[in-house]
Amino acid sequence: MELVVRKNDLLRELQLFQGIVERKNTIPILANVLIEAKGEEVKFLATDLEVGLRSRCAASVAKGGSLTLPAKKFYEIIKSLPETDVRITEEKGAVKVAADRFDSRIQTLPREDFPALPESAGAQATTIPRAALKEMVGKTQFAITGEDTRYFLNGALFVLKPDSMSLVATDGHRLALVTAPRTGGETDPDEIKAILPKKTLSELSRLLAEGDGDIRYERGENHLFFDVGNRLLISRMIDGQFPAYERVIPKGNDKHIEFERDRLSNAVKRVALLSNERSRAVKFHIDKGKVAVTSSSPELGEAHETLLVDYSGTPMQICFNAQYVLDFLAAVTTDVVALDLKDEVSQAVMRPVGAEGYDYTYVIMPMRV
Amino acid sequence: MSGGLRRILHIDMDAFYASVEQRDDPSLKGRPVAVGGQPDRRGVVAAASYEARTFGVRSAMSMAKAVRLCPSLVIVRPDFSRYKAASDAVFALFREVTPLVEPLSLDEAYLDVTENAWNEPFAVNVARRLKAGIREATALTASAGAAPNKFLAKIASGWKKPDGLTVISPERVEPFLQRLPVDALRGVGPVTAGKLRARGIERLVDVRTIDVDQLRETVGSLADWLIQLSYGVDERPVTPHRETKSSGSETTYAEDLTDVARMRRELAEMAADAAAWLARRRLFARTVVIKVRYSDFTTVTRSHSALPTQNADALVTRALELLTRTEAGGRPVRLLGVSVHNLVDPDARSPGPPRLPFSD
Repeated sequence: MELVVRKNDLLRELQLFQGIVERKNTIPILANVLIEAKGEEVKFLATDLEVGLRSRCAASVAKGGSLTLPAKKFYEIIKSLPETDVRITEEKGAVKVAADRFDSRIQTLPREDFPALPESAGAQATTIPRAALKEMVGKTQFAITGEDTRYFLNGALFVLKPDSMSLVATDGHRLALVTAPRTGGETDPDEIKAILPKKTLSELSRLLAEGDGDIRYERGENHLFFDVGNRLLISRMIDGQFPAYERVIPKGNDKHIEFERDRLSNAVKRVALLSNERSRAVKFHIDKGKVAVTSSSPELGEAHETLLVDYSGTPMQICFNAQYVLDFLAAVTTDVVALDLKDEVSQAVMRPVGAEGYDYTYVIMPMRV
Repeated sequence: MSGGLRRILHIDMDAFYASVEQRDDPSLKGRPVAVGGQPDRRGVVAAASYEARTFGVRSAMSMAKAVRLCPSLVIVRPDFSRYKAASDAVFALFREVTPLVEPLSLDEAYLDVTENAWNEPFAVNVARRLKAGIREATALTASAGAAPNKFLAKIASGWKKPDGLTVISPERVEPFLQRLPVDALRGVGPVTAGKLRARGIERLVDVRTIDVDQLRETVGSLADWLIQLSYGVDERPVTPHRETKSSGSETTYAEDLTDVARMRRELAEMAADAAAWLARRRLFARTVVIKVRYSDFTTVTRSHSALPTQNADALVTRALELLTRTEAGGRPVRLLGVSVHNLVDPDARSPGPPRLPFSD
């Protein structure tokens, strides 16, 4: 293989692979990116066997072929180069990467060891609006638990219906659900459900960050395919049954309080500084016209801050993990948020007020007062 | 009671998942029902009702095949929360009688009722009362076997189904063994049974007469175990809360393997078996380990951890990638193995702050 590619084109693609390759390095080839040169372009592929990414960029190929290079080292080298042309040449079991007066030889691993990834059939792709998908991912991914014995909580459930789509994530204590309308899905089957790994969502949000144009989505037997621009994200689905999330979204919460988002966020942040370090519990004392946010910890001390609100219902108290509240407040963008409650032991619901283009429901299980 | 005669029960719920479905949806009563995934999604039968079994539908069979055998088959998606609730009720009954309850799955357990809370001297009476209690608490039936040890109790419970009760009292052990075909044993699959038949062993008691070394040559490490069983001896205690840490299989090949494609096929099959085992146990594994023993007996293991899975394709892919990290092929291989570790039980509840009530 022998090719010349512009540094910035190459760097832009390699950057996207940094989150894909396996960091634990138990299977060395999974730390490598597969590079295939053919015609007028060079294609890239990397995977950790759970999530894979295919991308490409223009190149001037003198001699086609394929080889693998360690994704991280390769990226660091390209990043350090000046804005110029990069020459990549296969040479006696190693790979020469050169630019200007820089020259390097990088050890490669056999191309044959690179795992085969499923191909999308390309037939029944579904179109998803980019903006809505971006909102869905950004407003749910934080609620996925990293470490839980309940494997299915290591991902978010994607539900595609003919007229709407939803993404829902939970760690068992709080749940984030975003639903957005969609059109043009009349020809789709009734309903598609799949659990996406946490890593897929973070890579997806990286791919969605720049560019425009809708996303083509396809479901294979064990994998999902997201075609974002010229890049294809291939994700294994998580096995198993996602919990019945509709069941925990309360309907009869009759106490409604609206907050200015910034004020609530700042108050909770400050008060939480003196909360119990393990439980991070903050208490909301709700009364006519005001909510006092308080904390106390035997070792540290106590804090409170009062927020003026429009409320005339019965007084009550409810206790939350401050982090759960702050995660929600950091994800929403509206000026006002609503908190709907029933009593001190039932699920509370938070929502942005005046959000456009999507519905966002955030359910928190209160702590015992 | 040490050294004395034990009274062991093996209790097995009849067509458990399917029976729960038929109980909860009267329109399913009397119809062939299979619980499991859809045939077009490569679903597998997790449980089949007795009506479905008359068509030849069996658990672990692909749903596509099940539908071919029984076109009128009603496919029901599993709802483990209801099975778990029924199972909890059944196990609560068991534990009222004795603390020595060893669960094998949601629907199957060994009980040591040598001493029991009801002070029943006869295991058969304990079994009868438990079966009645199960029927009352869950409206489901179970089959029970009572015997002096686990091995015989398990075979007894399978003797008459559904709603059966079979007792092998100590004096009936020998006549029972005399009738027992060798493939009735757990751990003796069709392949091993075939090898034993080739040696003229049809009944379990036939292994008593064969030369031990010959038997070892035929079935390897299984030989001593088979001989013990052939005399009706099984000293394994009933162990409550036995936690499974891993599962796997390995094979020593009659001739060393040099063809990598063949090794990949062997590994893929073992990884798929591990996936099936996980599915049966309702467990997920984080870690896949392969074991390779070269012709010079040096042995290496390679492992890979990722999100917990029971998906066969995922486990096979990981096992095959691990093979590239060995010198297999470059060096001849005499043994290959695949195992799954770091098992995860999705139903396990950890203590902590209150949880969202997904099921109650």
